[in-house]
Amino acid sequence: MIIPLLKVTNLSKSYDNIVGCKNISMSLYPGEVLGIVGESGSGKTTLINCLSGNLEPDRGKIIFSINNKETDFLNISESEKRKFIRTDLAFVHQNPRDGLRLNVSAGGNIGEKLMSVGYRHYGNIRSLATKWMNKVEIDKSRIDDLPITFSGGMLQRLQIAKNLITSPNVIFMDEPTGGLDVSVQARVLDLIRSLVNELNLTVIIVSHDLAVIRLLADKMIVMKNGTVIESGLSDQVLEDPQQEYTQLLVSSVLHV
Amino acid sequence: MRKTNNVIKIKDFKVDKGLPFDQEYNFAYLDENTKKMIRRAIIKALCIPGYQVPFASREMPMPYGWGTGGVQVTASCLTKRDTLKIIDQGADDTTNAVSIRNFFKKTSNIKTTEITEKATLIQTRHRIPETPLKKKQIFVYQVPIPEPLAFLEPKVSETIKMHSLSEYGAMHVKLYEDISKNGHIETAYAYPVKTNDRYIMDPSPIPKFDNPKMNNSPAIQLFGAGREQRIYAIPPYTKVKSLDFEDYPFDPFKAEHACDICGSKNTYLDEIIVDDAGNKSFICSDTDFCNKRKNK
Repeated sequence: MIIPLLKVTNLSKSYDNIVGCKNISMSLYPGEVLGIVGESGSGKTTLINCLSGNLEPDRGKIIFSINNKETDFLNISESEKRKFIRTDLAFVHQNPRDGLRLNVSAGGNIGEKLMSVGYRHYGNIRSLATKWMNKVEIDKSRIDDLPITFSGGMLQRLQIAKNLITSPNVIFMDEPTGGLDVSVQARVLDLIRSLVNELNLTVIIVSHDLAVIRLLADKMIVMKNGTVIESGLSDQVLEDPQQEYTQLLVSSVLHV
Repeated sequence: MRKTNNVIKIKDFKVDKGLPFDQEYNFAYLDENTKKMIRRAIIKALCIPGYQVPFASREMPMPYGWGTGGVQVTASCLTKRDTLKIIDQGADDTTNAVSIRNFFKKTSNIKTTEITEKATLIQTRHRIPETPLKKKQIFVYQVPIPEPLAFLEPKVSETIKMHSLSEYGAMHVKLYEDISKNGHIETAYAYPVKTNDRYIMDPSPIPKFDNPKMNNSPAIQLFGAGREQRIYAIPPYTKVKSLDFEDYPFDPFKAEHACDICGSKNTYLDEIIVDDAGNKSFICSDTDFCNKRKNK
């Protein structure tokens, strides 16, 4: 039997009287890509922030099982939690400027995670950073340039490299192609897809763009007003939506 | 003039070089309650080497950046038996040193000296004397920015957390940037150190040449940041290690010259332009050390 890498039970979070997300239960298996879709304000970001440790949920359970070791994410000490986030999780922000240090060179940005898990050899850090710049298709001659000199798509690829370099077990992506124009979006999506296949990554990806979900996600959940209204294999949900809202969502995609 | 009950009367004073001792002030300017509060912060700081202890910094009769933190620490540690030395960039005769020395002469009438060995309390801006510090000396640093992580993380709430959980990996990012830009660690002053294998600490803007002197020093080292309201300390005989990379070890750099006055080859030098043609002279920044060598 395969144990789920992440098991969520009855997770709730509200902001005063406003519901963020309510009674969410789900599980994620190693190597799976889970898409979360829903309209603005449906609780996608609240959910992903709770799961990645950016927000403290009000109720519920989050259990990570990594290398046969169970971590009760909401009941560990803060130092353990931060260590876990640092070594086992990664978060790709919608706006790459939130996930990068803009006053630090590209190489420094990619190397930061390595240094924070104990790398103290400049040469090794540098060669790993170069390797990852290659992987995300950024010319290695740009290693000492500041991120402010990079285009939007390059910034997003740099952020992805920065997050993946320590081989995290779960990667959270919040609208990773949000602010990019269509051709750049395609390139970033292509990159994410090939990295997911090549490295067998486990990813939770939030998007309101169904095309992104169709392309990347194995399974998906649809959220509305803070609750999950539909879930299943992405193809299944997208081809044969059962809920009225999901039907609306699927039919509202423009076919050019 | 207002007189409080706290004022200590000192009878046997002598007027020093035309600077009248003003008895209207409490001994060493600060009132006794403030000194008590600062001493408590100092004791806490000594118990947790390198940890920044917040304290209620007072307005001092000098601008921020002139050593208001150091002056408050000095005032709180000073006793009537102390001999005080004040240096600014290693020199006893520069503006900052002269004005702080006069301040303490006026408000506490204690003995002052320029000779490092004779001082029981030394306040410094940006240098550690060349003459090794010894037991029973107190060494007070003036600190502009006490937070070594400020460069990486502007939020104080976050840096406090990083310190408490020893999340220091990102500190090396700064050194990484130096090497990638310049081929070596360019940081020449305020070079971060790890104190007692635990807290990362800003040693104040001393040249990195002085960093090794902090390690295992027999003197008590106190750091005062007035504007930022922090005190931290290194107790005697404490390990202080400068951060570095395995393949780029720490290098206490100095100019490749000998002092043009005393000829010393292993002291920290100031580079001085001596004429309009751009000719340079290198001299010891520690004036006391240089004078002693010259007179030998």
